[in-house]
Amino acid sequence: MKKIFALLSLLLMLPMTASAQAKKPTLMIFPADVWMTEHNYMDEVDVQGRKKRVPRYEDAFQTDRDINNVIAKVGELMTERGMNLESLQEMTRGIDENAAVDEFVESSSSGASLAESAYDRIMNTAKADIRIYIDWKVNVTGPRRSVTYTLTGRDAYTGKQIANASGTGQPSISAETAVLLEEAVLENMDQFTSQLQAHFDDLLTNGREIAVQVRLFDNGSGLSFEEEYDGEELSEIIDNWMNENTVNHRYSLKSSSATRLEFNQVRIPLYDERGRAMDAKRFMSQLRKFLKAAPYNIISKDNTRGLGLGIIVLGEK
Amino acid sequence: MKRILLIVIAAMMVPLLAMAKKDDVISYQVEGAGTGAQGTYLVKTTVVTKNKNISDELIGRSAVHGVLFKGFSNADTRQHQKPLAGSPTVEQEHIDFFSAFFADGGDYINYVQVISNSRTVVKAGKEYKVSATVTVSKDQLRKDLENNGIIKGLNSGF
Repeated sequence: MKKIFALLSLLLMLPMTASAQAKKPTLMIFPADVWMTEHNYMDEVDVQGRKKRVPRYEDAFQTDRDINNVIAKVGELMTERGMNLESLQEMTRGIDENAAVDEFVESSSSGASLAESAYDRIMNTAKADIRIYIDWKVNVTGPRRSVTYTLTGRDAYTGKQIANASGTGQPSISAETAVLLEEAVLENMDQFTSQLQAHFDDLLTNGREIAVQVRLFDNGSGLSFEEEYDGEELSEIIDNWMNENTVNHRYSLKSSSATRLEFNQVRIPLYDERGRAMDAKRFMSQLRKFLKAAPYNIISKDNTRGLGLGIIVLGEK
Repeated sequence: MKRILLIVIAAMMVPLLAMAKKDDVISYQVEGAGTGAQGTYLVKTTVVTKNKNISDELIGRSAVHGVLFKGFSNADTRQHQKPLAGSPTVEQEHIDFFSAFFADGGDYINYVQVISNSRTVVKAGKEYKVSATVTVSKDQLRKDLENNGIIKGLNSGF
């Protein structure tokens, strides 16, 4: 009986130990915008009167052999180092398939189709923690050719550059572009991963960095950040909440007015109490729950953008 | 009596011989020698020594030590690699491990290969500069050091 009890206890503990294991950051490799533009893989679209370039990643993957080779090589080296890699090619394919299926989904009663704004589509894209951008250029001097290569790693939450490796390889008369590119990747990866290592060390010690904005709906309710609850202004209450819920109380109040609060360099825990990866949306959800409870009873709308910019608007949903 | 004298002389010579072996490498330099095959570094290692017939093992040991704690560069090929161990202080922090690792016949030998016919010898005063091109299996070396908890991997902490 004791043995069965011990076995059951062990079985029950397994998921607990599994959830205590922290998740590795995921990486996704992108061709750099400048490479996409030079190779004519950009569409020009009109956004409220301004021309904007939008990359056609799938086209690039389907037609350019070099980009596939380079991404495969970088991916192979990162996987060898034990990192989780998400495929941009598979992700873009998945989005297209979902969009195609959604076109046939409609309400059984009203016949209305699914409402998906351009904003939703953007939110559908890469959710990897770190985005690696690759750019290269083949230099030709007489019969000699060389490759100038740049690898840039950006934190998807803040957009900050966290690792970079660049250089120009040895010129060669006989080597093919694919060989020159492979040499460039092999030559630069260790420098790149050592910087990535420094970033991970910082993440583990100080938490993930995001920015936070708290705004008010202009709906005539009279709510303002100067409103007092038990002698404390709402701005102070939110400031105190940030102090209690950030890693090592690390955050900075960038600006504060009667209608807007902005925080930057906000260091949030990597995981929530359930062991789920924490991003700006989850962090803001905790703040929304805090404000919704008594004595504040303030409802809010989550308008978070991407992984690293948490925005909530108080007063309405 | 003669036997005792011989034993005493032999006993006195043992530390001298050991010292002579230790002193074989006065100093060394490691520089990049181009891009190696995947998972390896190709480095030119120059050992300053009084013995021009220094063994390949000692050149290899200098190469691994340099790759681990000094890093290397090459102005012509614009190569630059930081120390694999991250910092020179790692050697002092794990002195027991590295004493055994770099001992004669130590594990360092598993990660290094001196390219045949690449050796050159230049006399400089009373010393010799012995150079050779060496392949260091850096990926395997890093993995084994990570597994031994000597250096951190990208996975550490996650």
